Amino acid sequence: MSISTQGGEQHRPNVVKVGGKPGAKPGEKTPAGAKTPPKGPKGKPITPIKVNQGRNWGPIAMFTAVGVLAAGIIGYGAWQAFKPPFDWEGAAKAIPGIVDYRETNAADLTRTHAYGTQTYKQSPPVGGNHNEVWQQCMGNVYDAPIPNEHAVHALEHGAVWVAYRSDLPADQVAKLAAKVTGKEYMLMSPIEKLDKPISLQAWGFQLKLDSADDKRIDDFITDLRINATQEPGAVCSNGNTATGVTPLTQEQVQQMMQGANG
Amino acid sequence: MTEETTSPSRWRQVGIAGLVALLLGVAIGFVGTHLVQRSGLPADDSAAAGFARDMSSHHAQAVAMGMIAADRAASPAVRSLGGDIAMTQQAQIGMMRQWLRDWKLNVNSPAKPMAWMPDGDSAVQGNLMPGMATPEEMTALEKATGPEVDRLFLQMMIKHHLGGIHMVDAVLSETDQGDVTWLAGTMKSGQQGEIAAMQSLQKTLGFS
Repeated sequence: MSISTQGGEQHRPNVVKVGGKPGAKPGEKTPAGAKTPPKGPKGKPITPIKVNQGRNWGPIAMFTAVGVLAAGIIGYGAWQAFKPPFDWEGAAKAIPGIVDYRETNAADLTRTHAYGTQTYKQSPPVGGNHNEVWQQCMGNVYDAPIPNEHAVHALEHGAVWVAYRSDLPADQVAKLAAKVTGKEYMLMSPIEKLDKPISLQAWGFQLKLDSADDKRIDDFITDLRINATQEPGAVCSNGNTATGVTPLTQEQVQQMMQGANG
Repeated sequence: MTEETTSPSRWRQVGIAGLVALLLGVAIGFVGTHLVQRSGLPADDSAAAGFARDMSSHHAQAVAMGMIAADRAASPAVRSLGGDIAMTQQAQIGMMRQWLRDWKLNVNSPAKPMAWMPDGDSAVQGNLMPGMATPEEMTALEKATGPEVDRLFLQMMIKHHLGGIHMVDAVLSETDQGDVTWLAGTMKSGQQGEIAAMQSLQKTLGFS
């Protein structure tokens, strides 16, 4: 009885008794087969041994284990398959202080190409009609103001525009620049008139801040960069790299394109 | 007597049960791990996700360089190569972005660039990954004219490709994700071939 298997104590006595009964040999004490209960030595009927009516815990345990494992694997697969997509919009809206103009001012966020200076309802703008050429947003850190009409086109392509008031201290500017330099779908520029030291823009979203140390800057970038695009797949390379407040004229744009082919 | 006569058959039963349990265990383990691997989506901090994000950034700069060469290089061969590289890498950016969507992940991560890569900290300079041109170098290429476009493009793109291959080698040692290993493998062989072609162009055009 030193053998120890799962459910062995339940299983073994049945096996032992059935197989090991001297009287169980066929043709000796029960010539008529198993139909008549065998008599004991004192003529008293022997209680039939319940061979299969006891629970066979071994197989039950095994199949339960297999079942639990299978359910786990299927459940895991289903959870992965039905896992919801990353909700960048929900994450962005949860940033304290962010303004969602897509919700409040959807009508302002028009997307027609237009030449000449445009008027925008938001300052700095977060969307609206814009120049045919976008401002290059390959992590460009512009040291002078850029035309809104080009910046808005960059926002349409999914860029995050870090704007700061021209009087922001140099160390604060450097902190912002470190988040932007060389990172595509990012651009940064000063603005003369700004009601807060720092203003972050993505298409339809804005967050105004007092300090470059504010943790919400990284949140804004993480939630909205590329995700806020109106044209998935649109690029930030090429585009306008000139600063100033006047957008390129139609003639200038045509010259630019001809120059590219020459 | 009873013990003696029944022992062999009980041993056999125990042996068979043990064997069946072992085989079942192996089968469950085999099928289970395969199912988990196939259905298991890469995590936000996985090498697969980090590669998809960082290689997209890396590619974006190659697209910028390639378009400049396609537009303005003096040599038709360089114009052709620039267009080829730009189109290929822009399409691959699309694939990598779609992976992230499929994996239910954000296209952005608060983690630093190259955080997924062993020794990634030393490989990255600011936001620039291995082989990437500095903003000053990009401005120089943008402002260049004539054969200077060809010279700068070939020089910068060879360096860019070498850095890209370095990133590919890193991700191949870090992930078994099928899409990633497939595309990364083709990037490596493709960019190695292009490096050879660009070195040959450097000689032909008298830049080296």
